[in-house]
Amino acid sequence: MIVRIWGTRGSYPVARADVLRYGGNTTCVEVRAGGRCIVLDAGTGMRLLGTALESEPQPPQAIDLLITHTHWDHIIGFPFFAPLTRRNCEIQVYGLRRTQSSLRTTIANALSDPLLPMDLEDLSARLHFHEIHEGLGFELGTVRVTAARANHPYRALAYRLETDEGILTFIPDTGPFHTVLFGDERIVWNGSPQPNSAAELQTLASMRAGIVEIARNADWMLFDAQFTDDQYARFPHWGHSTANQAREIAEEAGVGELLLFHHDPHRSDDELDRIVAEQQALARPGLVVRAAHEGLELRRGSYIP
Amino acid sequence: MMRIAFWGVRGYVPTPGAEYLRYGGNTCCVALHGSNGELVALDSGTGFCQFGDRLMRAAFGQGRGELTLLISHTYWDHILGLPFPGVVHVPGNHLHIYGPDSTRGSLEMVYDGILSPVYSPVYGLANIGATHNFVPITTEPIQVGSLTIRAMPLSQRLNSPIWAYRIEEGDQSLVYITDVRYSNDIIWRQAVGFAKHADLLIHSAPYTREEHVEDYGHSRVEDAIELALEAKVQRLYLFHHAPTRTDAQLDAILAHYRAELAAAGHPLILDAAREGEEVDV
Repeated sequence: MIVRIWGTRGSYPVARADVLRYGGNTTCVEVRAGGRCIVLDAGTGMRLLGTALESEPQPPQAIDLLITHTHWDHIIGFPFFAPLTRRNCEIQVYGLRRTQSSLRTTIANALSDPLLPMDLEDLSARLHFHEIHEGLGFELGTVRVTAARANHPYRALAYRLETDEGILTFIPDTGPFHTVLFGDERIVWNGSPQPNSAAELQTLASMRAGIVEIARNADWMLFDAQFTDDQYARFPHWGHSTANQAREIAEEAGVGELLLFHHDPHRSDDELDRIVAEQQALARPGLVVRAAHEGLELRRGSYIP
Repeated sequence: MMRIAFWGVRGYVPTPGAEYLRYGGNTCCVALHGSNGELVALDSGTGFCQFGDRLMRAAFGQGRGELTLLISHTYWDHILGLPFPGVVHVPGNHLHIYGPDSTRGSLEMVYDGILSPVYSPVYGLANIGATHNFVPITTEPIQVGSLTIRAMPLSQRLNSPIWAYRIEEGDQSLVYITDVRYSNDIIWRQAVGFAKHADLLIHSAPYTREEHVEDYGHSRVEDAIELALEAKVQRLYLFHHAPTRTDAQLDAILAHYRAELAAAGHPLILDAAREGEEVDV
C-alpha cells in the first residue's frame, strides 16, 4: 500500500511563504493498493495528483474517488483533474447519499454556469456516481473500504481503507463528540453550549464508537486537527477538532501513526512544528505523531502497479 | 491619489507552492484605496481571504468597515473567497456588492447558492454577520466618495455575463478587464473605448498566442498588449496568470514583451501583477 499526500489544508487553499513545508493545497490523498488507484477527496491537491497520474508510463484507466463531503475545500480541485480529459478513463465517484440533492447534481451544479463552464456530459472521461451511507462496507479490488459518520455540519463521511498490507484511516473533517452534535440543521452558537438531550448524547457516543472502530489498529490515521484549544473554545460550531482530540482517538484505537491533518489556513509551518512536538511528548509510548505535509509518501508491503 | 493592492492574481485555481510564490498563487482580488479612505475591491477569489485578514486590523475588526465589492463574473476564481475571512462575519461591517445577474439567477442567488449547506458550513447568505446589499450592475456610473465607477459588459454569454470596470478619481483612471475573449470586432472596439487613456490597465492574459492553449474564454498576452497600445494606456498589468505558470516563466514572458515594446519604441509600461504589490495609480 502506498499513500501519497497531495493536499493537507482545510477551509481554503493558501499560497503563502510560511506554509510551504506543510503545503497550502486543500485535502487530497492518493492510495495505490490492491491494483487500484483510489483518491480521497478532491481539494486543490487533486490538480497536482492529476498531472502526476498523466505522466505515469501507463496512466490508470480506472480511478475511484471517495468524497467525505462536498464543502468547497473538498471538491475545488475536481474540475482541474487532468484525467477528466482522457477518453479511456473511468472514474467511480463515491459520496454521501442525501435526500436534498443527489451527489451527481451537487457536483454538476458546482461545475456549470454561472459558476464554471463545464458540463459533466461533455467530459471525455466517464463518471459514475455511487451514493453511500455511514456503516457501509464495500470492496474496491482487494481494498476493503468502510465508511463511518463524522461529526461535521451537514454530516460528512470518514473512511477506512484496508488491505493485507496496511490500513489507512481518513477523517479530514470532524468535531469532537462531547458538546455539539451536527446534523443537517445549522448549529446556532451563542457562546455557551446547550445541554445535550439523552438521545443526542447517545448519538454522539455511537458516532464516536464508529470513528474509533474505523481507526482500530490503523497503520496511519489522518485526522482533523484544524483548531488550537483556544479556537475550539470559540468556534465549536464549525465542526473541527484539536490535536489533543485527534491524539485521544488515536490512542484509544491503537493507531500506529497519527498524522495531523486539515491544517487551519492561518497555521504556519513553525506553529505546526511546535504542535507536533507537543503532541509527540504527550503521546502514549508506541504512537508516532506527525503532521501531514504535501508530498509525503507512506508505504507498507510491496506495491506492484 | 488612488492606490491599488494586488491580493490575488492567479486564474482558474489557487496554486500554493514555492515556484509560484513571487507572483502569488491566490485567485483574483484587487483592492483599491481612494484618497479619502474609500475602499473598493475587484472580485473575491481566494486573495480576498488574505485581504480580509488585513482589514480586520483596522475599522473592520470593530465592525465599522464599509467595502464596495465589484464582481466581474461568478466563476469560482472570482467569488469563492468571500465567505471565509472574519470581516464578513463581524456585525456592523457593510458590504455593497455589485455584479452581473445571469439567466441562471441573480448575483445574490449565486452567492447564496455557494453558501448553501451542501457546499459551505455557513448555510446561506442570511448567516453572514456583516450587512450586505446586492446591486445588479448596469452601465450607470456609481459614486463611492470621490471615486466614479463605470462598468461595461464584454461578453455575450447570457449564462454568465462578464463585466469590465473603470474607476476614476480626478484625472486618474484604472481599468479592470478579465476573462474576456475578443471574438469579434465589436467587443474589441468596446474594450478599446472603455480602456482609452487609462493610467493603469489590469488585463487577464493567462497564455501567450504561441502556446495554442484551447481556452476560448480568454484573450492572450498579445491581445492585452495590443489593446493597451490601441487605447493608449500608460501601464499594463498582465493578470489572471495560468496555474502552471511559474515565477521564472512569468519573468521570461515579461522580459520578452518588454524588449519587443522597447524595440518598437512604444512607451507602454508592461508589468505582471504580483501578489502583495501596491501601486499608486
